Parts: sequence; structure tokens; C-alpha cells
Amino acid sequence: MVTYIVRRLITAAFILLGASFLVYLLTALSGDPLEELRTSSAPNRQALMDARINLLDLDTPAPLRYFKWLGGAAQCLVPLGNACNLGKNIAGQPITEALGFALVQTLTLVTGATILAILIGISLGIVTALRQYSALDYGVTFMAFLFFSLPIFWVAVLLKEFGAIGFNDFLRNPEIPPAVALGIGAVLGLIGAVVVGGEVKRRLIVGGSVFAAVSLVLFYFSLTQWFRNPGLGPVLIAIMGAGIAFGITILVSGLKNRKALQSSLIVVGIGVIAYFAVQPLLSDATGLMIFLLAIATILVGVAVGYFMGGYDRGQSMRAAGLTAFLVGALVVVDRFMQAWPSYFNNSRVRGRPIATIGAGTPNIQGDFWIMSTDTLTHLVLPTIALILVSLASYTRFTRSSMLEIMNMDYIRTARAKGLSERSVIMGHAFRNALIPIATIVAFDIGALIGGAVITETVFSVRGMGFLFIDGLLHTDPNPVMGVFLCVAITAMVFNLIADLAYSALDPRVRIKA
Amino acid sequence: MRFGRTSKAVGIAAIAAIALSACAGNTGGNTPSTGAAKQGGTATVVEVNAFNTFNPNTADGNTDINSKVSYATHSGFYYIDNKLNVVHNDKFGKMEKVSDSPLTVKYTINDGVKWSDGTPVSAADLLLQWAAFSGYYDDADAKAKTGTSYFSYAGDNSGLSLTDFPEISNNNKTLTLKYSKPFSDWEIVLGGPGIDVPAHVLAQKAGLKDTQALIDFFKSKPRGDAKAPQPADAKLKAMSDMWNTGFDTKTLPADPTLFLSNGPYIVKSMNQDQSLTMVRNKDYNWGPTPSLDEITVRYIGSAPAQVQALKNGEADIIAPQASADTLDQLKALSSQGVTVDQGNQLAFDHLDLNYSGPLADQNVRQAFMKTVPRKDIVNKIIGKLDPNAKPLDSQIFVPQQAAYADSAKNNGSAAYQDVDIDGAKKLLNGATPEIRIMYNKDNPNRVDAFSLIRESAAKAGFKIVDGGLGKSDWGKALGKGGYDATIFGWINPGVGVSGVPQIFRTGGGNNFNQFSSADADKLMEELVVTTDRTKQDDLEKQIDKKIWDSAYGVPLFQSVNVDAYSDRITGVKLMPNQTGVWWNFWEWAQK
Repeated sequence: MVTYIVRRLITAAFILLGASFLVYLLTALSGDPLEELRTSSAPNRQALMDARINLLDLDTPAPLRYFKWLGGAAQCLVPLGNACNLGKNIAGQPITEALGFALVQTLTLVTGATILAILIGISLGIVTALRQYSALDYGVTFMAFLFFSLPIFWVAVLLKEFGAIGFNDFLRNPEIPPAVALGIGAVLGLIGAVVVGGEVKRRLIVGGSVFAAVSLVLFYFSLTQWFRNPGLGPVLIAIMGAGIAFGITILVSGLKNRKALQSSLIVVGIGVIAYFAVQPLLSDATGLMIFLLAIATILVGVAVGYFMGGYDRGQSMRAAGLTAFLVGALVVVDRFMQAWPSYFNNSRVRGRPIATIGAGTPNIQGDFWIMSTDTLTHLVLPTIALILVSLASYTRFTRSSMLEIMNMDYIRTARAKGLSERSVIMGHAFRNALIPIATIVAFDIGALIGGAVITETVFSVRGMGFLFIDGLLHTDPNPVMGVFLCVAITAMVFNLIADLAYSALDPRVRIKA
Repeated sequence: MRFGRTSKAVGIAAIAAIALSACAGNTGGNTPSTGAAKQGGTATVVEVNAFNTFNPNTADGNTDINSKVSYATHSGFYYIDNKLNVVHNDKFGKMEKVSDSPLTVKYTINDGVKWSDGTPVSAADLLLQWAAFSGYYDDADAKAKTGTSYFSYAGDNSGLSLTDFPEISNNNKTLTLKYSKPFSDWEIVLGGPGIDVPAHVLAQKAGLKDTQALIDFFKSKPRGDAKAPQPADAKLKAMSDMWNTGFDTKTLPADPTLFLSNGPYIVKSMNQDQSLTMVRNKDYNWGPTPSLDEITVRYIGSAPAQVQALKNGEADIIAPQASADTLDQLKALSSQGVTVDQGNQLAFDHLDLNYSGPLADQNVRQAFMKTVPRKDIVNKIIGKLDPNAKPLDSQIFVPQQAAYADSAKNNGSAAYQDVDIDGAKKLLNGATPEIRIMYNKDNPNRVDAFSLIRESAAKAGFKIVDGGLGKSDWGKALGKGGYDATIFGWINPGVGVSGVPQIFRTGGGNNFNQFSSADADKLMEELVVTTDRTKQDDLEKQIDKKIWDSAYGVPLFQSVNVDAYSDRITGVKLMPNQTGVWWNFWEWAQK
């Protein structure tokens, strides 16, 4: 095992050297860094060109310049040494500094999107696999491929047009005309009927009730101007909490495990009481406090599960813990909604909350909730755009992997020995289906750092992608190499992790050193 | 864990956004206007590049955004208006030519003009600017790689290098510059539009005792001589290093002396690579009074993103790169109260003919010029953006300049208004010269211009060879031969004439087609030592005619300049030069 890792790391180092040499040369030879100056009619054109030549060291041939760069970059390997030198960009900013900033920007932009895409993609994949060749399967497949084949710059521009500009216009006077409410209800009702599956009668009932519920809720929203003054309130939290408790219990243990269901429901009750208790506390919230509260919430849930016990104490603990976490999330969402009107009327926001560009409203001031809402309103569109385009691969991979597993002999055996469908799917099929997914996820995390060049451009975020493209446009290898180093190293490390994880997850795969 | 919660909220917002996008399509966007312009208010201006230094004069820091922020936060003896005139700011001080021979210019700073830390703006600040801009102390020899170049000034020092060490009055308010020979652009080489680096801060950061020590030091140091380079002076090096990079920053420095203002605004906050906010400088009363309380600059690279930001109210003033799409999108916003201004930039495309090869013969050059379909080119390339666009008719002036109309009428460009195939054939007299045209084939506008020229010139019997080169190669090929004609762009300096000989003098640095005219050379020699603007225009008109007479080539069209602003804001005016809409930022007001 150790030999294997060492061997992989040594190979990786050589690949890195070769690839970096290639990338450096390609970048350096990709254009003329003096182009903009050549046709300058400034009397001191030559002096400006000399300055640029000096800055980028253009007198040294590119292959030699690479080794100079390598010399600086090699010092980054010295632990605790402060001599790390990746050169400077065309504006004279050290690359290490630019990278540090760009990395944070990119991670803020893509982390949420990637996690959400993985969660949604895997769930959709499993559901479509279980209902192979159903209307739902075709529908999801169609949508996944549709979004996959849409160019992201176009999706992003449409999102900005409707999701930001249109939605903000709507918020000025958030009234939903009855026809529109009925229309949305009908569409969602149809989706509901498709999702639920089964007999026609069952579909009609579900579709009809979704239609009625959604339309009514939209009427209510319109009447109360809910979108201007949104909120959940304890009653809604209790109702939604109960729904969550049932849902989680079904997934984790099945409703037969009464103790698990009871502990989940008890947790919901605690959550509603806690809703009132934590309100004053939440007014002075900080990120750390929310984090600690989340941990406390889960611990409470787990403790309830433990004391409720039952024939499978672990299941109760898991169900209650998860329920607790989700109910806690509802409380936080409610608090965000309470902050919404003051965010909406903030003099910097001027009643147009959903942003099309940047990572935050300049000069906005306020408490934790206002600031977080501001971040969220800036992140929401790029996140949706990234989710839409990356959903397809997760969905399809999970679906095919799940289908393969579902046809395995041991699944038939499991069914034959009388296990409930829940345990067959959740316990036997799902876990094994996740093994190949682990590989893609690891790759994608490596690709995360590379940024999303187009998304960054459209949403005007200056992250890794911008650094890369800007360096390329100026024929300035230093920023390009900085990005390349980060991306290459993470990609290789995560590849290694993926391989190791594979062998850890799948006992059939053994690494032979 | 936090992600769980964050993502929940994101998810809910996302679902809401999707669900509602259907009914949020077309609700219009008229914000009610609230009366006439008033004092106060805020505006958000969009820029393409991100701010990175408080000293915009260095070779590395000389980007438009740095200059614009400096322009809004510093004042000086003059600024340039959108008619490309030099406007003096007498409330700041007086810049006067006290003698013509030798050319002597006296700068007097008014009492009460001060930096935002209370220190008066003094002749020392101007002296520091002079020391940096003139390259007085440099003794570097680029070829021999000896000596030291201290201040890395992005501008041209050919004017100030003619000056002796300035004289400073005892009260430290007056600086007098004496030129060893007259210099045409004396008005715009020093003291404006902003005096942006405070001498007292630089002195302190470079380890000098005070401003007086800085003046004394500068006085004691002799002019650098590239022929007799001295070892680098440590003190001067410390000062120039501070000047070159000490003001570079992407975040608001903790030390307020690094971003002192002496102009209408002062920087209040900076969000790296996102935005920069300026608020009014309370002390400021030595120039045009701004009306907005706060200006925020946001950096958005792509033009469609700028338009959508304007539409969504995140930006009030934008000046995106003009394209037909952008313009259509902007015009569609007029229902929302957005005003779109359109005009020309100082950049223009032109066709230059080499005075060698098949085009060495003036008749052939004239014949070629007669075949250039200038109106078609303008219509095809610029017509979509600006239906009223006309071909540019001067090699030296642009229509924004007062002298353009007169010069265009008399310089002989009238002969090349329309394609004249018969006239060209007559001049060619049966010959069919082969002409290789070099251009940047990665620039669609140049490709279009080339195809139209090829088509038309072929009718007169020219054999046109496509000598187009890729983005990274065409610039290097300029002036190296290997082609007979070339299509590329210049940027007219707008103000100042010292760039003219650079292009048109025999052996000039940018004289790529080897144009040479003894008469024009003589006029240009006179031009660079003429200090009077009217006389300069006169000389330039004569030079323009000489260029046209010798069948130099033809200018084609100016790039289109666009700005747009929301109905919250008034007072935005188009400006063709690099300052862009910022030139009259003090007139911006919120309704």
C-alpha cells in the first residue's frame, strides 16, 4: 500500500513537471505580449515595450524562462519557507497573492453548486433507475440531457434575465394573477402525477391534490404579499417537520420501526419549542454560532434516538439526528425569511434583491442575516446554472450503476429471503451503486479548483477561471501557471484518493504494491 | 454542516425563482423618477478592469481604471473636456507661460488646496511629479545595459527632459520650469489632470526627514547622464521604489496616507476585484463641485453582463465595448428610462500603403486609394452600430476636434470619397500590380475591410494577395516589409501633437510605410516647438494635406463609443478619449 502511494506520488511529480513545461511553452508561444503596444502612437512606445519586455523577461527564450519560473516555484516546496515565488502578473501583482484571492472566490462560487449537484443528481439517478422506462425516467433523462447540452453562458444569461431581473420586477408588486397561479399549479400537478407513478387513479389523486395545494398556496402568497414578507412560522415548521420525520424514517428504518418514528417526531416537537427559545439568540447570530447550534441540534436528535432505543437503537439515532438537523435548517430558513424585508428595503439593495453579478453588494452593512442573505442572493443564480449543467453526468452515472446493481444475484437473494424493498434498495443496492460514483465525485472535486471560466465571466466573479483566461489573453504565463499548478495538484491528489477510496469501498479491488 | 443550511436556503430561493420566472417575464421596469437633480445621492459606474494602484503613472499601473479613480480623487491645473480642449482649473492654481524664449512655465498652487490629511498641496508635490515624469535622474542606457532607471513613468518624457531643475519659490507654492527649447505640449505634461502622489508621504516612507529634505535632496542631485552612469543612489532608489510599487494595492490600505486625496472624492472602501467606493472629500473647494455624495465603481468584464447589471439596477452608468448586439440590448432598455449615448472613439482603422515595391509609384498608390470602397466599409462594419457613420477624412484630426472639418475639406481627401474604378484604371494605364495586404486576420472588422478592398481593387486590375496574419504575428510584422499595404488601427492622442512626428516623420518610430516628405518633416519640426494651439492646428492642417497629397493611404473609420445610464442619473456625457464618461463626473447627479 505505502509503496503504491509512493510510486503514484513519484509518477505524479514527473507528470507535473512535464505538463507544466508544456503548458508554459504553449502559453508563452500563444501570442504576442507586446501586441497592444506595437500600434501605439505614443512617442515613448519603445520605452513602454522595453518595460513590458523587462517585466515578462521576454529576452529570455520561453524554454529557459520556464526553468527560471521553476526555480521560483520549487521554493514553494520548502515547508515554512517564505520564498515561494510564482512570479508576477502583468500588473505587477505577485501570483501567490492573486491565487489566494481567486481560490476563495472560486470555491465560494462552485462548492455549494457541486455539493447540491451531487446530492440532487444521485437522488434523481436512483429514482429513475428504480422506475426505469417510466414517464419519470424519460422526463428526467430528457431534462438532464437538455441542460447538459445547453451552453452555460446562455443558461446563465437566461437565468439573469428571468431569475434576477424578472423576479426583481415581480417583487416590486408580488401579485400572482389567478390564471398564472392555476397554470403553475397545473404544471406542478402534472409533475406530481408523473413522479408518483402507479395506477391511473393514484396519479390523478396525487396530481389533483398537488394542483389544488400549489394553486391555493400561490393565491395565499399573492394575497399576503408573501414574497415581500416571507416566513414559515412555528405552525408550518411543525407540519413540515412532521413530513420530514416520516420521510426520513421511511428512508432510514422504515415505518415499521415505531421507535425510530417516535424519536423523529419527538425531535420535531423539541424543534418547535426550540424555535421560540432560540429566536433571541439568533438575532445576534454569527457563522460559528450557527455551526455550533447545528452540532448541538444533531446531538440532541441522536440523544433522543438513543434514549428511545428500540430493537435497533442505531436506526432511531440516525433517523432522529437527521430529522433534528433538517428541522433546525427550517428554523434557520425561517430566520432568513424574517430578515428578508429589511434586506429588501436596504438602501444599497433598493428593492432588487437578486443580483446578476459579483459576490456581494458593495458597501452593504447589516447583521449576520443581512450579510448572509446578500451572499445568497449573489450566489443563487450561478449555483443554479452550474447545477443544471452538471446534473446530467451524476444522474446518468448513478442510474446506470444502480440498474446494474439491481440486476445482481444478491439483490434477488435479498428479495427472496423476504427483506423489505426499503432494505434491499437502501441497504444492499444503494451502497454498492455508490462505489463508481465515488470516482466521479473525486474527479469533480479536483476540477472544482479549476473554476468555471464561463460562469465566472458571465457572473463577473474574478476567480481561478478569470485569472487563467486573463493570463492567456495577455500571453502572460505566470498566472496561467499558477492556476495550472493548483488544478493539476488537486486533480492528481484526488485521483489518488479516488483510487484508494475505491479499494477501501470495494473489497474486490485490492491494491497490489 | 453550514453547507447543509446554506444550501437549503439556496435551494428554496432557487425553486422560488424558477417557479416565478414564468410570471415575472414582462412587468416592465419603470422606476418612478423623483424630481429634478439635487445635491447628494449615489451612483454605480461599471469598469472593465479592476483597480490595483493609487499611482496610475507607472508603466505597470497605467491602466484606465487606475487613472479614472485617480482623476476623481485628485485635482490639478487642468483637465480635458469632451471637445478635447485643455480646460484650466484656476481654483486649484495657475499654470501660465511667462516667456516664450526660453519657454518658461510657472505653476502656482492656490492657498487652501490641501491633501485629505490637512497638509497643503505644495510645489514639492509638483517637483516630485516633475522628477518622476522627466526622467531627470535616469542614467540608464537600454542598449549597453548600464546605469539606473529610477521612476518607471508610463508617459513620454521627451518634453520634460528638455527642462532644467525647476525653481521653487520660498513659500513653496510656485514652481517654474524652464525649457531648453520650445515644446509644443507644455500644457499637458505636468500638474494635471491630477497631482496624485503626495511628496510628504513619499518622503516619510522613503526615510527622509520631511518634505524640505526631499526638495533639498532633489536639488543636490545632478542630472543623470546615460554616457557616464553612476552607481545607483540608494536614497533615490528608495524613493522611486516607493513611487513605482509602494502605492500598489487591491485592498484599502490600513495606512490612510497611502491613499490621500486632493480632489473631489476620496476612496472609502475597496473590495478586491469587485468594487471600489469613493465619497466626497469634505475639504474640497478648489475646482468643479461634484453633486453625488458617493460613487461606486464595479468591475464587470463582459459587455452583456454590464447591460444586464444596468437593467437590474446594479449599475447606473456603463460604457461597454460597442457591438451590434450590445447596442440592441441597450436600446431595448429605453422603455426602462435608460439613455444611450453614441459617438466615436479616438481609435480608428486605416489602410497604409508602403512607399516601396509596386506601390513606390505615386500613381499606383493613388489608383489603389481610388478603389478603396470607404463608404461600403463604413456601412458594413460600423453601419449596424451607427447608421450615420461616415468615413474618416483626416490622417491627423478626428471630428471631435474643431480643426477637423476645415482640414478634411482642404486636405485632398475629397478625391477619395467614392470608388473611382475608371480613374484608377486610367492611372494604372494597363498595369496589373500585385499587392499583398497584411492585416490581423483574427479581427473580423479588418477581415471585412480587406475583403471589400480586395473585391473593389480587383475591378481596377490590381491583383490582391491575402497577407493576413494571426493575432500574435501581425504586430511583429509591421514595418518589417513582406507586404505592400496594411490595414490596422491607430489611437489619436486627442490632445497634444508630439505623437504626429512619431508616425509621419522620416524615420519616425511608428513610420511603418516609409513615408518621407521633406516639406512635411520641416512642418513637423516646427510643430513640435510651436507652443500656440491655433498655430499648431494650422501646421497640422498643412501636414495633413502633405500626407494626402503624397497618396499615403486612407483612414477608414473610427471605432464606436457607447455609454448608457439609468434614469436615476443625469449629467453623463460621452467622451472619446481614455477618460471616458468620467471626464465630467462632477456633473453627475441623482434625480
